[in-house]
Parts: sequence; structure tokens; C-alpha cells
Amino acid sequence: MMQTIIASDTPSTAVPVQIDIRHVGKVFGGKGGDSAVIALDDVNLTIRKGEFISLLGPSGCGKSTLLGIVAGFQGVSSGKIEQNGRPILRPEPSRTVVFQDYALFGWMTVQQNVEFGLKAKGMAKRERAAIARELIALVRLSGFEDKYPHQISGGMKQRAAIARALAPDPDILLMDEPFGALDAQTRVLLQEEIARISSEAGKTVLFVTHGIDEAVFLADRVVVMSPRPGRVRQEVNVPLPRPRTAEMRSDPWFVQTVNELWETLKPEWQKGEEE
Amino acid sequence: MQNSAGSPALSPQAVARQGGMAQLFKNRSLRGAVGLLSFFAIWQLLTSIGVIDAFLLPSPVAVAGAMWDMAVDGSLWIHLGASLRRVAIGFLLACIVGIALGLVSGWWRGVADFLRPVIEALRPIPPLAWIPITILWFGLGDSASYFLVFLGAVFPTYVATYTAVRGLDRNQMNAALCLGAKPWQLIWDVLVPASLPIVLPGMRIALGIGWMCVVTAELIAAQTGLGYLIQQSRMLFQINNVVAGMVTIGLVGFAMSAVLEMIERRVNAWAPSERS
Ligand SMILES: Nc1ncnc2c1ncn2[C@@H]1O[C@H](COP(=O)(O)OP(=O)(O)OP(=O)(O)O)[C@@H](O)[C@H]1O
Ligand SMILES: [Mg+2]
Repeated sequence: MMQTIIASDTPSTAVPVQIDIRHVGKVFGGKGGDSAVIALDDVNLTIRKGEFISLLGPSGCGKSTLLGIVAGFQGVSSGKIEQNGRPILRPEPSRTVVFQDYALFGWMTVQQNVEFGLKAKGMAKRERAAIARELIALVRLSGFEDKYPHQISGGMKQRAAIARALAPDPDILLMDEPFGALDAQTRVLLQEEIARISSEAGKTVLFVTHGIDEAVFLADRVVVMSPRPGRVRQEVNVPLPRPRTAEMRSDPWFVQTVNELWETLKPEWQKGEEE
Repeated sequence: MQNSAGSPALSPQAVARQGGMAQLFKNRSLRGAVGLLSFFAIWQLLTSIGVIDAFLLPSPVAVAGAMWDMAVDGSLWIHLGASLRRVAIGFLLACIVGIALGLVSGWWRGVADFLRPVIEALRPIPPLAWIPITILWFGLGDSASYFLVFLGAVFPTYVATYTAVRGLDRNQMNAALCLGAKPWQLIWDVLVPASLPIVLPGMRIALGIGWMCVVTAELIAAQTGLGYLIQQSRMLFQINNVVAGMVTIGLVGFAMSAVLEMIERRVNAWAPSERS
């Protein structure tokens, strides 16, 4: 069943492993007898440089937890996680995060938000203003530099958040359901933009979603997780060429893969809904 | 404005100002001024037609006269200055302590667990009840007033800071951290601006309470200040001066919170609470 979905061979082993997640477990609570939640159980995943990974799974399967661990926001309960062979201990600008709720700084303009990571590096004012303007242009927000987050739309906020995350020139971009709060049309537009931006910028991306077609459309590899306990259930390589374009959504392979994933995930989604 | 009394013909600016006045009437601060003026007008009416005995409550005109006299002989300014200085010092101390304690107990759960019961038990004791022990500790000097202002202002400052820190958006903090924020940047560019929408209104309330406390303290434990002025005038049966002192307290308190509110609107313009 799984083999039918894995359509292409494993990615080239010549590309170095960037993130190595080995036997990672994460337990919440459980001190002094109250019920512990096993958010992650023996998760194994290697991410190669430049890869675009979609992390797909129903609600509560530990996607955000895993992303938070990769970001360095929280530690593991067991197992280990490394970046370029060194353990991940704390958040670092080599791994920046785009949050579902944007988490933009409301008291700063778009420009100041994007400059934040550059300021942290101690970059001179003129230089960081120039870089921020370039990034704002990259996410097509030019003209909105001086607006505050509450003055722009949800889609624009998400673009600003992406520009802000790209600013420190990270090696890996971590995105937690970045398009979850957007309407379907904006979502599709931003999917195409992120496909373009990530390949233009040559970033490794870990993209959390529970949209199956979004996961397949964007990724080189879809990692499917299952809940209770959170585990990696299967991995699907996506052989579609880049750049990804809208027509690929009607590609027979794309349609079939999305359908098959839906069939395999349906019981779990139903299980999730019942909780 | 200076020559308006002398010239019956309206200058172009004055006409323009009048046109603006019609517009301004829709303005909220103008409605506030009208409310205030009506209050004084009704008060004046009630006293001048004799519904209220002038011996029990002097008319606003009489009070204004008393204020004028005290302003001219300088005593009003001395008392006002003394009260303002005391409230400033006490309030500053309250801000330092309240914000510091609020920060640490908002940040570290354990500290809050220790501190909050103590503070919640001290908080309901009204400043008036502290007066005997305040006099015992500090005597009848300025320190007694500082202490009472401090007591009144420290709790709202603490509660506001604690609430603000607890309410900080985890994702925003995480965003700042993963962007490589240095500690100073985390404090000045994230923690402080994110907290101000809650901390500033808390400080405004604290200042209002501090202003009430300084007058309370001066009624009993001081030789200057607006509270002392009221108390002294009462003993001399100068009811006009008593009410003049009260009106001064009210107007100054009003001005203080109006100024702070203006600052809040500036600083927190981005926050949802400041948008109408
Ligand atoms: N800080 C925490 N304390 C206790 N339990 C937690 C914590 N964070 C997550 N969990 C639990 O861990 C499990 C996985 O949560 P997680 O947020 O990673 O899921 P998710 O896959 O991101 O879900 P969603 O798609 O709804 O965002 C859930 O059962 C959740 O209740
Ligand atoms: Mg999540």
C-alpha cells in the first residue's frame, strides 16, 4: 500500500544531511502521576540541504511540537536532533520560523519587522534597510513598508512574516501552517509564491500543514504523521519538476497521490475529529 | 485671544474658528468640556437660587474667587507644588518596585506563587488604615506621604505589569528568539512595547490613586500640601478655601490622567485597545 505511493527513488545521497532527527520522543506532563501526553514517539527524519519537506498529518499528531523542537524552542524527552552534526540546543537565526498566526510585532512597521533579525546581527542601519526592502519586494509587498500589521490583510501579514524569517538568511525555514488562516484563493497564490521564493532563495524548508494538496504541491518529500502517539507513518517523494506551476495540480500523478493520501489518512482524520 | 475683549468685530481667524467650532462640537473632548461646564452651571444655579445653603457649599464663583486669591498670594502654588512633589516621588518608587516585582513574578511562575498571596492580602488594606502605622514609622514628615502614595500606587502597577508579562505572546517571543534577538533587543523591542498597552493604563490608575493618597496623608501628617490646606481652612472656617482645595485636587487629577491618556494613545496606537 505504501509502496504504491512512493513513486520515485530516494533523493541523492550526495547532498549532505542538514537536519537529523533520530528516535525523538516528546512527553508532556506526567509528573507526579497525572496523565502524560506522548506528543512524539520515536520520530526519525533526515532533511537534506535544499529540500522542501511537507509535514502532513491530522490535528494533534505532534507537527507543531516537532517543528518547535527543530526550531530549538523546546527540548526532546528522548532521542537526539542535530543540525550539520551539532545538537540543536536553542533557537538560532540559522533556523527561522513562520507562524500560523504570523506573530508579527504589532508595534513595528512591516519594514521594522523585516529588519528585526538584521538588527540583531548588528548590521548598520542603511544596509539593513536596503536588504529589508529587497526582501519586501521578493514577497511582493513593496509600497507597504511603512504600514503596521493591523493595517494590512492576512495574506500580506503572512508575506511580511515570510520576509522577516528570510532576513537573517537562515539555512532552514520552518513554517507552521502558515496559510491556515487564509482564504482559499490567497492560499493558492501564496503557495505558488512560497514555491518560487524557496527555490529562488535555495532554502531548506520544513512546512507543516494539514492540507494534502498543499503538502504535495510544495514538497520534494511529504512526511505523513499519525497521532497518538505522534509518529512518522510514511514518506512520499514528489517527482514533479520545479518550478512548480498551477497546471501541475491537474497532473495525473498529483491527482492520484492526493487521492491515495486522502484514503490512507481518512480514518485517522475521523479519529481526530472524534476526540 | 488677547484682544478679543476689546474688538467687537470678529477677525477672520475667529470666524474660521467658529466654523471649526460647529465641527468641533462633534468632537469628544468638546462634549467633555460641555459636560464639565454644565456641572458648574447647575452647581452655580442651585447655590444662587438658594436650594443649597452657601454656608454648606459655596458657589463656584465664590470658590473661583478663593482660588484666585490664593493663587495671587502664592499659597495655592506652594501647597500644590508640595503635593505634586510628594506624589511624584511616591509614584516613582511605586513604579520601580511594582514593575520590578511584576516582571519577576510574571516571568517566573515560582516567584509569582510566593509573591501573589502576600500582595493580594496587602492590597485590600486601604491607605487610610495604614496611617497610624505610617506615622509611627515615619513621623509627620514628607516620608509619611511618600510611603502612603507608594502604598496606593504600587499594587495597580504590580498587577498591570504582572498581567502584561503573563499575557505576552509566546509565539512573538519565540519569533524574536529565532531571529537571533539579543537580550537588550528582546527587552526593548519586544517585551516593553508589547507590555505597554496594559502597563500604561495601570500606571495611570496608580497615579490617580497616588494622588488621592497624598491628599489623605496631608490631611493628617503634613504641614503643607493641598490636603493640609483643606484641613487648615476647615479649622479656620474658611469653607470657600476648603472647596477651592478640593476643586484644585479634582482639576489637577483630571489633567494628569488626560495627559497620560494622550501619551497612551500615542504610544499604543498600534494596539487593538486603542483603535476605535
Ligand atoms: N505545552 C504542551 N503541554 C502539554 N501538551 C501539549 C503541549 N503542546 C502540545 N501538547 C500536546 O501534544 C500533542 C501534539 O500537539 P501539537 O500541537 O504538536 O499537534 P499538531 O499536529 O501541531 O496539531 P494541529 O494541527 O492542531 O496544530 C497534542 O495532543 C497536544 O495536546
Ligand atoms: Mg500545530
